[in-house]
Amino acid sequence: MFRFFTLFTGGRKMKPCFNKIFKSVRRIDTFQIITLPAVIFVFLLFVLMLFVYFYNALPAFIREGLAVYFKNIWQASEEPGKEYYGLIAAIWGTVYTSMIAILIALPISIAYSVFVIDYVPKKLKNIFIIVSDMMAGLPTIIYGIWGVFALVPFLQKYIMTPLYKNLSFIPIFSYPPVTGYSYFSAGVLLGIMVTPFASAVIREAYQMIPFTYREAAISLGLTRYEATKILLGYIKPAIFSGMILAFGRAVGETVAVSLIIGNTFNLSPSLFAPGYTISSLIANQFGNAYIYRHMLPVLYAGGLSLFIIGLIVNIVGLYLLRRWQENVRI
Amino acid sequence: MSEYKIRKGKEIAFTISITILTFLGILPLFHIIATVFVNGLPVITKESFTFLTGTFSNGGIGPAIAGTFILIFLSSLIGLPVALLVGVYAYEYPNSIIGKATETLLQIMLEFPTILVGVFAMSIIAIPMGTYSAFAGAFALAIILMPYVAVYTQEAMRQIPFTYREASFGLGLSRIKVIFRILVPLSKRGILTGVLIGMAKVAGETAPLLFTIGGLYESYPVSVTKPVGAVPLLIYTLVQSPSKGNHRMAWGASLILLLIFLLIFIPIRVSLKEVKL
Amino acid sequence: MNKYAIETKDLKIYYGRKEIIKGINLRIPKHTIFAIMGPSGCGKSTLLRAFNRLLELNKDARIEGEVLVFGKNIYAHNVNPINVRREIGMVFQYPNPFPHLTIYDNVALGLKLNNLVKNKDEMNKRVRWALEKASLWEEVKDRLWRYPACLSGGQKQRLVIARTLALKPKILLMDEPTANIDPVGTRNIEKLLFELKKDYTIVLVTHKPAQAARTSDYVGFLYLGKIIEVGQTKNVFKKPKNELTKKYVTGILV
Repeated sequence: MFRFFTLFTGGRKMKPCFNKIFKSVRRIDTFQIITLPAVIFVFLLFVLMLFVYFYNALPAFIREGLAVYFKNIWQASEEPGKEYYGLIAAIWGTVYTSMIAILIALPISIAYSVFVIDYVPKKLKNIFIIVSDMMAGLPTIIYGIWGVFALVPFLQKYIMTPLYKNLSFIPIFSYPPVTGYSYFSAGVLLGIMVTPFASAVIREAYQMIPFTYREAAISLGLTRYEATKILLGYIKPAIFSGMILAFGRAVGETVAVSLIIGNTFNLSPSLFAPGYTISSLIANQFGNAYIYRHMLPVLYAGGLSLFIIGLIVNIVGLYLLRRWQENVRI
Repeated sequence: MSEYKIRKGKEIAFTISITILTFLGILPLFHIIATVFVNGLPVITKESFTFLTGTFSNGGIGPAIAGTFILIFLSSLIGLPVALLVGVYAYEYPNSIIGKATETLLQIMLEFPTILVGVFAMSIIAIPMGTYSAFAGAFALAIILMPYVAVYTQEAMRQIPFTYREASFGLGLSRIKVIFRILVPLSKRGILTGVLIGMAKVAGETAPLLFTIGGLYESYPVSVTKPVGAVPLLIYTLVQSPSKGNHRMAWGASLILLLIFLLIFIPIRVSLKEVKL
Repeated sequence: MNKYAIETKDLKIYYGRKEIIKGINLRIPKHTIFAIMGPSGCGKSTLLRAFNRLLELNKDARIEGEVLVFGKNIYAHNVNPINVRREIGMVFQYPNPFPHLTIYDNVALGLKLNNLVKNKDEMNKRVRWALEKASLWEEVKDRLWRYPACLSGGQKQRLVIARTLALKPKILLMDEPTANIDPVGTRNIEKLLFELKKDYTIVLVTHKPAQAARTSDYVGFLYLGKIIEVGQTKNVFKKPKNELTKKYVTGILV
């Protein structure tokens, strides 16, 4: 059979081609037959998820177009004709609270990483790391219940009210903190929750700095503070990436936030105003959305935007981290 | 002031602020644990047996605990086999396009908003079935569990020294036998850790359960195709109610949840060097 | 004809673009100990792995030329590498018995997964036979159910040899088997090789010329990817034909 071919095609030239075909056929072994379907299944599931959101949000897009993301109105009504919804308040809340969260996470995660690696004696180091990991894994509902009964009253009494009383002429402090459920409280709780994630990334990067750089900094006669500043500059991309990943986490958090953000449609820049996030909106409104004809697609549209934000943020964060790791590995 | 003194001053200020910030970051955990214990312990110790086994109107969270265990079990059943296969694939083909894409997808899924997974599970399982069910909830949890176990599996297998791979192939075994009969058993500790951490995480999740399991607290669950309760969901519902009695129950349930979490998490974490978040 | 256990024809090995082995023609006679010696890092281990197609585990590796085992080219396209590896056993630089298996299971593993034995009885017999052949039976017969961690380095390596022998290969490839073992253990293994020579062909890679001189019948000196000199051990060591060989053997070239 092979000889037959070579008569027509000039013998030697075909051999390598046949070799390649044989090799690639042989390469599909039983291992792949068993594992590849699982991999494909997971990819398909993910794509299906995206599709489900898109498909269910379609009616909202058809009815109002992309304006559904930019209007601030939430008028539910038994009469379908009178329903009007807009997600901008929820989007604002998501972005605002997550920004507060990473503003808190940034200094703390950096301080923690430096402290654990440079200042803590070896024996205690593991304890600090375990504590941070525990905070990362703690069930979010426990953060939620603590937030409701411990954090919010504390914040309201000792931080929000004094600030309001004395500085209410500044716009961000201008909303009266009556209950304490607000962007601020949600942001602080989120900050506490996402700091361990940023810390993990930064800590690992800081630890990986080759010892020669530390030696160099110290041999130049720098104080610890100055040396640390330089080393932190060295891992700036990792810090950035850690913040992005923390932002992604904060954006997706639902239960803890929905318990303390107040669940009100507001578009206020004031820290002490209650608001909504996309996830808390879904958690809150999905249950009774069936009664109204047009609410459901809008909620799905909100979910879709959360999906895409989460996707973009994660991909960017991971990409930056990987690129930095590859360039910097010695 | 001499320049040296300024630098020294900055140094001290730096050290102090680093320390303060670090403890600010760590403090909440201790406060949370303390708060949960202080508020929950009285509730549990008052009549522990009733609390742990009784139905809600009798002042107990038994059905919720049962529900949580059912969900953990069911989601593991669904998620673990897939996770193992995916993790092994990612280990064996780290440089192929599919392999790299798989790793990226796993990392994305690790951090994915769980509420979206829950709504998805509702759309494709609860709605067609016409009812809330343990199965729908377990499906959502399986999706959340899978990336944890897959990533731990991959990492654990990557730790195996190359020489064992050589020795295994050297015995004239096919790839499938080398991986599943030798290398996977060799890394079973790391894989098991991943499984436990995944289960701990999934036991504490609330958002995926909001629209999938429905809730069942007045009787014990008997079917996976019917609604079921879970401890985190119960807490979420109770916290939002105005009744102080419900709040007390919520604290008690929180303490149980915290204990389950600590009991799984601490031993694992102490015996392991690094944890994927 | 089939006089030789292994024969290479213009064997070249590349890692990516780099040529590691540059056209080698070796003939390894049956039932001998054939040593390949040379300075570290010049391709000895790579060459050895070409003989049982273990080289393919490294995706950058590429082979040109032929390797004939008992007259048949193992790189022909209808040859399954798995079958090649069952006929040729390998012992590695670091004693690597599987730590999660008992001593018994380590030896039995190849038999079990290759479905070479039919029942428990036959399995026990084979395991005992392999351990006896590896001179380890007396030392472990009472602790077959314990784990390799309780063995010394030399014993672990003999366990690895037993694991390999259980499959009844015809050729044994040894990649610096005593590099990480104490002198007493080393001596034991070298004595074992003399015994095994009667039933197997042994290819021994070593970076200690003294070991080659002690144990082998034939020796090849591999330097920078080429065989500089090859022949009967006593000749190569007493009257090396090549300058480089002389330098290596007397310890100047390391």
